[in-house]
Amino acid sequence: MGSVTLNNIRKSYGAVEVLHGIDLQVDDGEFTVLVGPSGCGKSTLLRAIAGLETISDGQISLDNEVINHLPPKRRDIAMVFQNYALYPHMTVAKNMGFSLRLAKESKSEIDRKVRAAAGILDLVPLLQRYPKQLSGGQRQRVAMGRAIVRDPEVFLFDEPLSNLDAKLRVQMRSEIKELHQRLGTTTVYVTHDQIEAMTMADKIVVMRGGHVEQMGSPLQLYDRPVNVFVAGFIGSPAMNFIDATVQNGTVITPSGAILGPAPDSLPDGSAVTAGIRPEDIFLSDSGAETTVGLIEPTGAETQLTLRMDGASLVMTTRDRVTLSPGDAVHIRVTEGKLRLFDTQSEAAIW
Amino acid sequence: MNETARPYYWAFISLCGAVIAVYILFPIFWLFLASFKTRDQLAQLPIAFWPEEPTLQAYRDLFDSGSQSSQLLNWPTLISNSFTVAVTSTIIVVILGTFAGYAFARLKFPGRDLILGGLLVSRMFQGAALLLPTYRLMNTLGLQDSLLGLILLYSAFGLPFATWIIASSLREIPVELEESAMMDGASRLQAMFLVVLPLATPALITAAMWHFVGAWSEFAFASILLESSANKTVTIGLASFVELFTLEFQKVGAAATLVAMPIMVVFFFGQRYFTRGLLAGAVKG
Ligand SMILES: Nc1ncnc2c1ncn2[C@@H]1O[C@H](COP(=O)(O)OP(=O)(O)OP(=O)(O)O)[C@@H](O)[C@H]1O
Ligand SMILES: [Mg+2]
Repeated sequence: MGSVTLNNIRKSYGAVEVLHGIDLQVDDGEFTVLVGPSGCGKSTLLRAIAGLETISDGQISLDNEVINHLPPKRRDIAMVFQNYALYPHMTVAKNMGFSLRLAKESKSEIDRKVRAAAGILDLVPLLQRYPKQLSGGQRQRVAMGRAIVRDPEVFLFDEPLSNLDAKLRVQMRSEIKELHQRLGTTTVYVTHDQIEAMTMADKIVVMRGGHVEQMGSPLQLYDRPVNVFVAGFIGSPAMNFIDATVQNGTVITPSGAILGPAPDSLPDGSAVTAGIRPEDIFLSDSGAETTVGLIEPTGAETQLTLRMDGASLVMTTRDRVTLSPGDAVHIRVTEGKLRLFDTQSEAAIW
Repeated sequence: MNETARPYYWAFISLCGAVIAVYILFPIFWLFLASFKTRDQLAQLPIAFWPEEPTLQAYRDLFDSGSQSSQLLNWPTLISNSFTVAVTSTIIVVILGTFAGYAFARLKFPGRDLILGGLLVSRMFQGAALLLPTYRLMNTLGLQDSLLGLILLYSAFGLPFATWIIASSLREIPVELEESAMMDGASRLQAMFLVVLPLATPALITAAMWHFVGAWSEFAFASILLESSANKTVTIGLASFVELFTLEFQKVGAAATLVAMPIMVVFFFGQRYFTRGLLAGAVKG
């Protein structure tokens, strides 16, 4: 078992509070991803769970046992660092067996476990090498091997893929996910890459400025973001935001183009921020008029940048496009896909 | 610098280096050669550079209990005293310097950088100015004319630099390595001994070498603190020896060579680490 519960976690450096009361539940076996812009406190939170950082207030529990005051070595949590932190003076085998050696396991037992973990990660031929003799991806796998060899309750990852090139990153992403499916160990994974978050997570926790903005499954966050920040952060290309007002039960742009129906609860004249995902816009014979700006085919789909009311609007379509820049086109929003946010508070209305 | 100028530049640098080396090393080498000559050969004119019939007589004279020189100065005692002082204070300095250096490199406490800088500055006051106060301090403590006093004194003098050099090398070691070790189940002390210190070996060796050489060849403080002949160290022995045997230069040469030997051995085995350790704070990589 390995469920992690965070209760009102606060952390201050001197007078500056960087975590403002984080509540979070990570269920046993769950893959949770912490995501958010740089400096929002992801690493700090992860390190607090690891025990590498003290917290100013709150409670960290592992399987309902408060572990606030336990040193890292007594938490039964393994961590993979961004720069891997492999011990340069030890071979791959020694690196992986280090925790077992500290736990005073027998030589044969260490050897057996290291070989088993190396087998899972395709590291057997590399066991006698030193870290400096490995490629980036191999180092990454050794760092993971060092974590799994111990069979801990929880894995923590802090941006483990950020030092790899794009192709390797995609490959390692699947490897980590597969590993998780195979071992079922509770995982907390930090990244600022929302695609990583979307593809890997059972549960995403979006953070900003030391607060949790929203948590939920990837599709919950995608379909029902609670505010403009989450809506804009999750999804690529990002959601479009348009200033609009409510009139006669419809949402219209300043130039009068109709985007879709408004909920009854909104009185006429309310100012709202309309949010539309790029794939929820389609070309039609009638609807809001726009001008084609950029056309970017990626093969399977095409991304169009449209100009409307002086703002840019990105749409994607799987249809082949025969337009050219400067053409006037009409667009509509897929029914039920228009999101509305309060212009002042940026909270989701609908 | 353009490509064609490069070889000339390096040739020039190497030449300068060679000239400086010869300039510094010639007198030492001369003394070394003299130790294999006879008294007669040293007296002859014109001066011969190489020994005609190399002999170890001068060395034998140092240790033959019957010889005049060994009756005046007991070299085995001098050497053993110097080793005791240099080795013991080196051990003290490296152990304390490691812990202090670790604290300066890893822990946060008020005034940390100021104190670390102050340690280095304190080394600049060393020398003649401290002789008298040190003498009186040692007398008050009852540590005059004792090897223990000298060991404590050398350790105190050597600790700042050792701390500084170890601290700067530990700062270069990513803190994640230690954190990783702690996640792997190590205590802070285990992380330090199993992960950090093996990586800091060049700095530890440098600190040890630096201190050993300094302690082995220290003269001023040893000469005012040590009185009885049973407690003297090699540098004092060498100084009296030069006075006693000015006319038997081969013996002076032999004694000087003997005294220089441990330093050469230390450098021979440690020079690899020495440059690396000294550069640790300066160069990344
Ligand atoms: N040792 C420290 N002393 C003071 N402030 C710190 C310290 N470590 C982090 N901070 C501050 O805490 C905040 C959160 O930092 P943290 O490293 O957790 O961000 P992050 O979300 O991991 O960012 P990134 O994506 O860039 O890694 C930042 O504003 C940072 O400046
Ligand atoms: Mg971070």
